[in-house]
Parts: sequence; C-alpha cells; structure tokens
Amino acid sequence: MNSVPDLGVGVGLRVPHYAAILADAPAVDFFEIISENYMVDGGKPLYHLDRVLERYRVVQHGVALGIAGPDEPDRAYLQRLKQLARRTKTPWLSDHFCWCGAGNAHLHDLLPIPYTREAVTRTVERARMIQDFLEVPFALENTSSYLTYRSSTLSEWEFISEVAERADIGLLFDVNNVYVSAYNHGFDAELFVRSLPHARIWQIHLAGHTNLGKYIIDTHRGQVLERVLDLYRSTIALTGPVSTLIEWDDEIPELPVLLAEAERARRARDEGLAMRAGAPRPASAEPAQPASLEAHSPWRQGGPRESAASEGAE
Amino acid sequence: MSESLSDLQRRMALALRHGSALGRDTAWAEFAAQHVTGNERLSPVEQLEIYREQFWLRHTSSLVEDFPGLGGILGQNDWEKLAEQYLLEVKPDSYTLRDLGQRLPELISRADWLPHQPLCLDMARLELAYVDAFDAPDTGHLAPERLAGIAEDELAGARLVLAPSVKLLEVSYPVADLRRALRTAGDEPVAIPEPSPSCLVVYRRDLKLWDMPVSPVAHAFLTAVQAGAPLAAAAEQAARTPEAEQELGERIGAWLQEWTSKGLISDVQT
Repeated sequence: MNSVPDLGVGVGLRVPHYAAILADAPAVDFFEIISENYMVDGGKPLYHLDRVLERYRVVQHGVALGIAGPDEPDRAYLQRLKQLARRTKTPWLSDHFCWCGAGNAHLHDLLPIPYTREAVTRTVERARMIQDFLEVPFALENTSSYLTYRSSTLSEWEFISEVAERADIGLLFDVNNVYVSAYNHGFDAELFVRSLPHARIWQIHLAGHTNLGKYIIDTHRGQVLERVLDLYRSTIALTGPVSTLIEWDDEIPELPVLLAEAERARRARDEGLAMRAGAPRPASAEPAQPASLEAHSPWRQGGPRESAASEGAE
Repeated sequence: MSESLSDLQRRMALALRHGSALGRDTAWAEFAAQHVTGNERLSPVEQLEIYREQFWLRHTSSLVEDFPGLGGILGQNDWEKLAEQYLLEVKPDSYTLRDLGQRLPELISRADWLPHQPLCLDMARLELAYVDAFDAPDTGHLAPERLAGIAEDELAGARLVLAPSVKLLEVSYPVADLRRALRTAGDEPVAIPEPSPSCLVVYRRDLKLWDMPVSPVAHAFLTAVQAGAPLAAAAEQAARTPEAEQELGERIGAWLQEWTSKGLISDVQT
C-alpha cells in the first residue's frame, strides 16, 4: 500500500483568493486545486498555479474522471491529468466514486453509483489502471448523494472499502459528504466512519452544506457545522493525523475568513488526536445553520472557473 | 461488463438532459420508480429531478458566464430560450465547461427566430475568440531586432509565427465596443448598433485579453500568415487590388513593428 505524507490543514485554492495569496503569502499548510481548472494550455490559470507552486505544496483533486461510468476513461483526459501532476508534483491525486456521463455526454456532475458487484469490479479495474498510468498514488472520494438505487446490494461504506482494498488505492474521506448522505438516506454516519479501512484514508475534506429540510445539498457554502466537526474528530481518533482540507465554493469569503475556518479544523484535529490518545470527546457548540439555498442556484465543485469573462481588460 | 449497469446509466444520462421536469413525464416517472428508491420525504422521481435541475442550472450558468455580451443583446427570456435549445441539441462532450459554447455560433446561424440574429452571431464569435485566447498556449514574443536582422534575400521566404492566442475575426457589427458598453451599463439600456463591418484581432498580452481593429488588408495579411504563408505570399494574398497593394506597401513596416511590440508575433522562421 502507498504511504502518503500528512500535510496538515489546507484550503482549496480558489480564484477570488489569488491576489491575496500572492501578495501576502499567508501561512497555509497546503492548497488543493481542482485539476480540470488547470488542464489548459496557458494563460492566467497556469500562471497563478506556478506562482502558488513556488511557495506551497499543492494537491490535485479532480471532478471529471467519472470512474464508474459506462464508457472507458478518456485516455486524452488521463494524459493531460498526468502532465499536470508532473507540473504540480502532487503527492497523491484524487477524484470521486461517481460517474459523470454516458455516450460522449459529460454532465459535469458527481452522479451516484449503484452499489453492486458489477460496479465494484468495474471501479476496481479502472482504479488500478489509472493509478498505474498516472504513476502517482491515487485516491477516490465518497460523494454526497441525493438518490439511492433499487439495484444496490451493498452499503456505500462496504462498496468504497472493497474498491479501495482490491484496487490498492487511497480514500479521500469527505466527512461532510457522509453527514449529508446520512441525512438524505437515513443511515448512521458514525457507523460509516467506523466501517472504513482507516489506514487507507489519505486526506479528509470538510465543508459547509445547505439544509433544505427535505434534503441537504453539499453546497460547500458557509462554515463547517459543529456536528460535522464531531464526526471529523471521531474519524481522526481512528485514523491518526491525516491531511485535512476546507472546501468553500459558494459565497466564497475573504481569505482571512477561510483561514480562520482552517484553524478551527486544526483545533478539531488536535482534539481528535487527543481522543485517540484517550482523552474524552470535547463538548461542541453548534454555529448557526447557513441560510437556505436560493431557488435555482447551481452548486459547483471548485468555485467559479477562471474564464475570459472574468478578465479585467480587453 | 454488465449491460444493465451501463444501460441504467445511459438512460439516466438522458433523463438528466431532459428539457422539462421529469415528474410531468409518465415514462421518466416510471423509469425513476423502477430504479430509484425514494424515501419518506422525496419520491423516486423527485430524487432524480434534483440532478436534472442541477444539470440545467449548471450548464446555463456556464453559458451566461462565457457569453455576457450575447446575453446582454438578447435579454433574459430569449437568452434562456437559446441556451435551452442549445443544450437540447448539443451534448456537452468535453470534461471542461470551458468548451461548452464551442458550437453556439453554429446554432445561432440556424436560429431564425432570434432577434438581431446577425449581431448575435458576431457577438458569439467574438466571445468564443475571447474564451480561446484566454488559455491559449504561452509563447515568447519576437524581439523586433530579430525581424530587422533578417537578410533581404531571406525576407520573402520568411514565415512569421503568430502567438497561439491571436484570433482573427471579420464582423458586421461593432461587437467589441457593444460588449464593453453592455458590461459597464448595469441596468441601463444599451442601444443596438447599426451594422458597421470591421476586422478584429483578439489576442492576449500580459495575461489580459485585448481586441484591436485592423484594416481589411492587414486582416488578409495576418490570415495568410496564420495559415503558414511566407511573407511574400502573404503580401500577395493581401494585395488583391491596386489600393490594397498601395496600403500594404505604405503600412507593412509600421504594422510589423506594432504587432511585434504587442506580442502578436511569437517567432520568425527563415
């Protein structure tokens, strides 16, 4: 099994923070990038990435692989991903347990997988191939989901555990996603956490979400809920120190607010490590719930894409 | 490979690209009931609908982001109608939303119902040029002394290499100025301009995007250069009339100096 370093507590690299990061060089353990935003030929995205790489460790996280889809992974996409990995020297590279489209239609979403034996076999074969091809330790992340399939014969934690073990890959464990899916589908989030192969958890994601009552959406908006941090402490108590990242993609705040959230996660991580050493779980104080999502607002992994329209001059 | 797993995913992908609420369609509601569990708060088709709605919101918002000028011309209702028609006809087939609008001009050229159709077509082509120039490969800029140092007997056969970000456009309306006006107007109405044919060069310099009007002769010369013609052949193609020949003779030196200083030329091959 690959071993990867503990990088501490990082934040997602997002376009609105470029100027502050390059001007002030704030203390951040590491940044995570959305790979696809930098799989371009040139211009601003790669300029900014290179400046960040001069000062920080950068970890790559993808949203478009669609490993469990009906079509084989796109070789051109993988080649481009590998080129970027050589540029960033990412210590590991991740994507999601999901599918993204079918028949040359890319839906740009993290669609849930039916948890079946066939899907296990398909995902294992491709994960092995991809890890070999990329020549970088490869991890997959559990997603938030809003539906479950009648054809599923395994629980989500059984599915991802079996794929990780059989493919010999890592897990990017998104604690908020477990909380969201547990609410949406009525399973026990703590059971999910306890049931994973903890040595394979290489990275953890934390984020805010939006509760619409009938279901929760993984919007990456607002602070991490204290109940999610509780689940995070439980996870760290089982895994030991694991690189942890704050994702904030909607209504992105000023950088100091994001960095304060990373410090909050760092305290929770220390408390989880203390629990691992035998200390009791700390009492939690729940921050206010984020306001409900405006109707007809898309959620998007990785925040706004840097684009020609965001240019300041013509 | 299980046919049933792949078949389920293919049908579900079609459902998510469906243009209206799945609950109103008996066949899709039955598909959802057959494959999706639902729960005490949401029916199977309501669960599936969460993903369908997001497909449309995500993709239309991406088009809005990349084509602000087009949206400004059309206004919300017609823009939404155009985006819906586009997403129904054109499968997003790239892993990146950056490529989503590549075939929008093609649809606009067929959309006879569109108000200001020729203007919309020009604007879409301009905005696509910005998208393509934005992240085109980085290259070095040609130093002016390299051009000046080419031996006279090699000049005719020399090939200029344009920077990959350079996009050449012929438009019938002043769309670059209109786009700027729309972006700064806020809620104020902006007058639809009269036709005014022009040639434009869109390019990137110092990480920023620029557009520059050029004469038809200069445009023809740059078009030939971009296609790989040596200098003499490019000049011949641009100098189609005596007037064009005269303009070229008088201006070519100044043009090359300007284009070099602006980074439009990345190399020269002799």
